[in-house]
Amino acid sequence: MFEVMMYDGGIYRSEELFEIIEDVGGVVLQKNRSSQMLSVVMSIPEEDREAVSKVCTDIGGVVKSVPLAGTEIAVVGPTLGRHHMPHPICDIAEELRRYGSITVVMGLARGRGKATAQMSAEERAIVDEYDAAIFVMGNFKTCVESKAELLRDVHVPVVLVSGPQPEGVDDTCEAIVSGVGRKASRMRTPPERDKLEEIADTMEAVLRDKKASLEEDPLFVHPAEVKQILENYEPINMCLRPAPMVLHLDGLRIKIPYSEHREYLENVDVYGRRLGDVAYISPSRIDDSSIIIRIKTRSQVADEDRLRA
Amino acid sequence: MEIEVYGDEEYGNGIYTKLFDEIMSDLNKAYLIDRVKLVLKPSTPLFVFSIVLKAEPGSKTIADVANVREEAGGVHVTITQERYAPDILSALWARYGRGNVVQQTRFDLDVTNAKLGEMSEMVVSSGEEDKKEIMGAIWRTMPEGIKNRRTLMDGNTITVVATEEILTKEMLDEGRQVHVSMGGSADV
Repeated sequence: MFEVMMYDGGIYRSEELFEIIEDVGGVVLQKNRSSQMLSVVMSIPEEDREAVSKVCTDIGGVVKSVPLAGTEIAVVGPTLGRHHMPHPICDIAEELRRYGSITVVMGLARGRGKATAQMSAEERAIVDEYDAAIFVMGNFKTCVESKAELLRDVHVPVVLVSGPQPEGVDDTCEAIVSGVGRKASRMRTPPERDKLEEIADTMEAVLRDKKASLEEDPLFVHPAEVKQILENYEPINMCLRPAPMVLHLDGLRIKIPYSEHREYLENVDVYGRRLGDVAYISPSRIDDSSIIIRIKTRSQVADEDRLRA
Repeated sequence: MEIEVYGDEEYGNGIYTKLFDEIMSDLNKAYLIDRVKLVLKPSTPLFVFSIVLKAEPGSKTIADVANVREEAGGVHVTITQERYAPDILSALWARYGRGNVVQQTRFDLDVTNAKLGEMSEMVVSSGEEDKKEIMGAIWRTMPEGIKNRRTLMDGNTITVVATEEILTKEMLDEGRQVHVSMGGSADV
């Protein structure tokens, strides 16, 4: 079993860390350097945790647990207007990043109001590209209850965050966290920080269920392995966008144009198979500049092989 | 600033009291407001936000917000009310040109080729502008989707009645009652 953890420390002697990750057959999922500080999210074999942790502490860093690493989560607000941004949406996104997730903040085009709030099919399709979504709603129970209907057709797991506890909407989402509505200031007091932790813990529990269901029928190849194979492809290597490859639980988001690189990606060799045969490769619904790869499960690949034979 | 809240939902009432206070303080308008009454009916939906200002906003001249004295070759200005500093600078730049306005410190300015009399009478903030900013601040405190609004304004009292779709006569009457209860006229 692979385990995900994060090194947080200085850049000094960090090459020793990268060497041991390579030696144990691990993968660097994410690397962020800011001035002389470095944080590395890595996936390593469980039995080598102790050795890697020792190197981390020897070079002056700390090891943190990142339960949401390897996931990309959308935090969705009714709009991106100043009524809802930056608090509490950005506060929640920041907390999820502390838990290791990559986050995206989104606002709906017509998400405001009680009777007039809407979510288009395209918006739903965009939200469905992520591993999970957090919908942040307001302070009035009647509004939250009527807007929760918008979540019904979202296919990824959803955590609903609202001020009051809504009633009769349990079937529209995976979990509800109440106590956080519209806010005009940063969530910095101890009860507010606790609330943010509660939201992140709830998301962790929701994704644990999704991971468990993926384990029942495992993917043909782990997304981190595909990431490792594609790392040296020049357009990805040279891509200046932050985190050019983002891991999902069932695939990856690659931030290079679909039309230009589809053919290469489809023909990449993965354990003797074409990537195009073991994964769905499609353009992101946001625009053509990103690619979504969804890896097929082992049973799906075996089934397709049987049909072809 | 004294805030009274009436509404259908206890949770929303508490939060909106805090939100109103925070947003008005952030926008530097809290010091202008004496009393506030918020009526929150999200189930209708109907929102009535009424405020009473401490004094009706009037025009401010440079002499009202700064000390002005004549010096050789020009006029020296010492800003006494910081919040008007950007307005004073803009007005002086527009009238005398940037080259003639020398800012020695944050609050001290030397203006060459200026006359004391005409400068003292320059308006840096009109009452209308203050009211417009207060209106903007009230709209910001209201829920975002409540876009259909009617404003009742006379003297020191400003009341905003707002709903999501059609503003009915009954809603407007309720807003007028709140406006009158805050000392406004029934004829607005």
